[in-house]
Amino acid sequence: MMKRLLAVLTLLALLGLATAQTNIEFWYAFSDEARSGWIQDRISEFNAQLENKDYQVTGERKGSYRETLDASVLAARQGTPPHLVQLFEVGSQLAVDSGIFEPVGEVGGGLDLSDYIEPVINYYTIGGAVNSIPFNSSSPILYINKDLLEKAGLDRNLVPGTYGEILSACETIAASGIEAKCIGFNLHSWFFEQWMAEQGAPLVNNGNGRDERATEVLLTSDAAKNIVSWIKTLNDNGYYTYTGKLEDWDGSDAIFTNQQSVFHITSTADLGNITKATKEAGFELGAGKLPMQDGVERNGVVIGGASVWLTTGHPEAELEIAKDFILFMTNTENMVSWHKLTGYYPVRNSSVDELTAEGWFAEDANYQVAFDQLLETIPNQATGGALMGSFLETRTIIEEAIQKVLNGAEVDATLTEAKRLADAALADYNSNF
Amino acid sequence: MKDRAVFQSRYLPWVLLLPSLLILSIFIYFPAIQAFILSFYKSNLRLGTRRFIGFENFTNLFTGPFSQAYKQIMLQSFLFSLCVVVIGLSISLVLATFASQKIPGARIYRLFLIWPFALSPAVAATIFAFLFNPEVGGVNLFLNELFGIKPRWLDTPWLAFMLVVSAAVWKNLGYNIVFYLAAFQNIPKEYDEAAAIDGAGPLQRFFRITVPMLSSMTFFLVFTNLTFSFFDAFGIIDILTRGGPIGYPPFDNAGVSSIMMYRVFQEGIEQGKSGFAAAFSLFILFIIMIITILQFRYGSRSVQYGDN
Repeated sequence: MMKRLLAVLTLLALLGLATAQTNIEFWYAFSDEARSGWIQDRISEFNAQLENKDYQVTGERKGSYRETLDASVLAARQGTPPHLVQLFEVGSQLAVDSGIFEPVGEVGGGLDLSDYIEPVINYYTIGGAVNSIPFNSSSPILYINKDLLEKAGLDRNLVPGTYGEILSACETIAASGIEAKCIGFNLHSWFFEQWMAEQGAPLVNNGNGRDERATEVLLTSDAAKNIVSWIKTLNDNGYYTYTGKLEDWDGSDAIFTNQQSVFHITSTADLGNITKATKEAGFELGAGKLPMQDGVERNGVVIGGASVWLTTGHPEAELEIAKDFILFMTNTENMVSWHKLTGYYPVRNSSVDELTAEGWFAEDANYQVAFDQLLETIPNQATGGALMGSFLETRTIIEEAIQKVLNGAEVDATLTEAKRLADAALADYNSNF
Repeated sequence: MKDRAVFQSRYLPWVLLLPSLLILSIFIYFPAIQAFILSFYKSNLRLGTRRFIGFENFTNLFTGPFSQAYKQIMLQSFLFSLCVVVIGLSISLVLATFASQKIPGARIYRLFLIWPFALSPAVAATIFAFLFNPEVGGVNLFLNELFGIKPRWLDTPWLAFMLVVSAAVWKNLGYNIVFYLAAFQNIPKEYDEAAAIDGAGPLQRFFRITVPMLSSMTFFLVFTNLTFSFFDAFGIIDILTRGGPIGYPPFDNAGVSSIMMYRVFQEGIEQGKSGFAAAFSLFILFIIMIITILQFRYGSRSVQYGDN
């Protein structure tokens, strides 16, 4: 009896061993079917071609970017971290400071980065090391309702490139008496950050937080004042509209696609969705580079979006497979299909070449605009993007400051107060170390 | 009357209480003690850092760089709760009075009145957010058509505040009405009939008979609504306004629709400052304790319990 039991147990144990695959876990933040489905498809393809069947990649949705970061940190502290985590760009300093990740560029034989678009990889290079592999990258562009432009008596192919050109178009639009407002964009600090970069101005000190830990948020610089003053002028003249809620992406998209604004600023990642919506609404969509301060050289944009990070503390073999998977997911062919699905930039030069060869840009010139903006970006510390641990708080402080100005507060005093608060938040964060 | 039950063993009551105590310890007492300890540390959720700083978290509430914002939010929390309780209970009482009338289809009216309570705060807020989008929302399409106006519901400070109050009141209406309807069943009809015979009008009967007879229920509802407005209105605020917009001076240090509990969430969860958030939530606990004590000491005097 006893012997039999033992035999059965041994058999079971052997079976267990034979089927036990080590899971390489990938946690990501997309909640929509299209994008998370795309990731799941890539995971299946990767597992099918994996030679060593002891391993398999599994993907899991973990909520928003912030929730994904929190879940990973807590899992790591409990000793069960995932291998790969998709993190948003503003979480970079936090991710580095949390100590649960290791720079992907230093795993195994290193990485060949020559194919990655420079401004993109620029953002994720911290202290000389490539920390993560860019995955879904985007930047803001100007969206234009060409039919409304014409209705307001303007050239339907007009593409305003500067603050001044927007203002003069707005003047004509307001005078024409059409019902739509001139311009709408959601009140988001991301745009402010982009406009700082366009002017070549760092957002924080110490080389935008890249030479050393930042200690000051540069909200009283001339560049910052230019931006807020422009928004104030737009608002005071009745040219600007938004839903009233901070960071309301969907609300401001709805304003544009319902033809309540002529111009709209939002991420290139929405190009797919908005193009579809404008076809349904029956108007022609145009696109332009992000309008910026007059008389200043266009430095380009900071890449936004997210990248994939590798957590520390796994056996070398697992890390290798995890790394292989990210490289597979972001290879030339996959980035082409990712771009077509979403409008996110393919992060590789070879993918751009392939899209060009296919005639993708000739078909829809708006996608070309998004690309030019990225490819023409001058790589420097301003366009590399700021690093600070209190980035999320700073964003709220900037947004509330702009909202105060929209309520009628004075620009200089409001920015001075915002700087005081942002510096205090940053000092509070830095005092953790 | 002897109001103490007789148990065969003096340990039996404790044994019977054990399951509840166990659950309370795990989910209430233990976290509460943890929060108490945490409030004396500077602690960051994501960095995993912890450093003892004594009372600094508490003093930061009143003198730190963001203290102006906290003070504004404390004041708003009281205003918000006051509005939700007073407006919410008044409307519920009136609606419950109408709904308790014996008219054809009364059951259907009651069902519709109670229905909002079945929604989660998130769903209720989403409905409001769609309706009150200033450019494309249903309410403004209607107002624009009729009067040619498009109020900016979400960034005009007082409108945004009242919108959040309305959403919270609406969300809780069903709950209040159910309890009032139940209370109506317990008011003996004789009082009302006797007063009617004596020549009291409907308004007189409402204020002189119905309202006092409902006072025990009102007392209970004030407490539950207060708790709701302090703790549960969170979901409505997060989805409808995210605590915004910034108001006009002196309400320009924080969003006008933010309340203390929402700020605790932002500080503790969004920003990861778990130590400070623990201190802030202890402060809220302290305030709720004071309100509860005051309410039981002074509020219960005016309450009439039917039979006594």
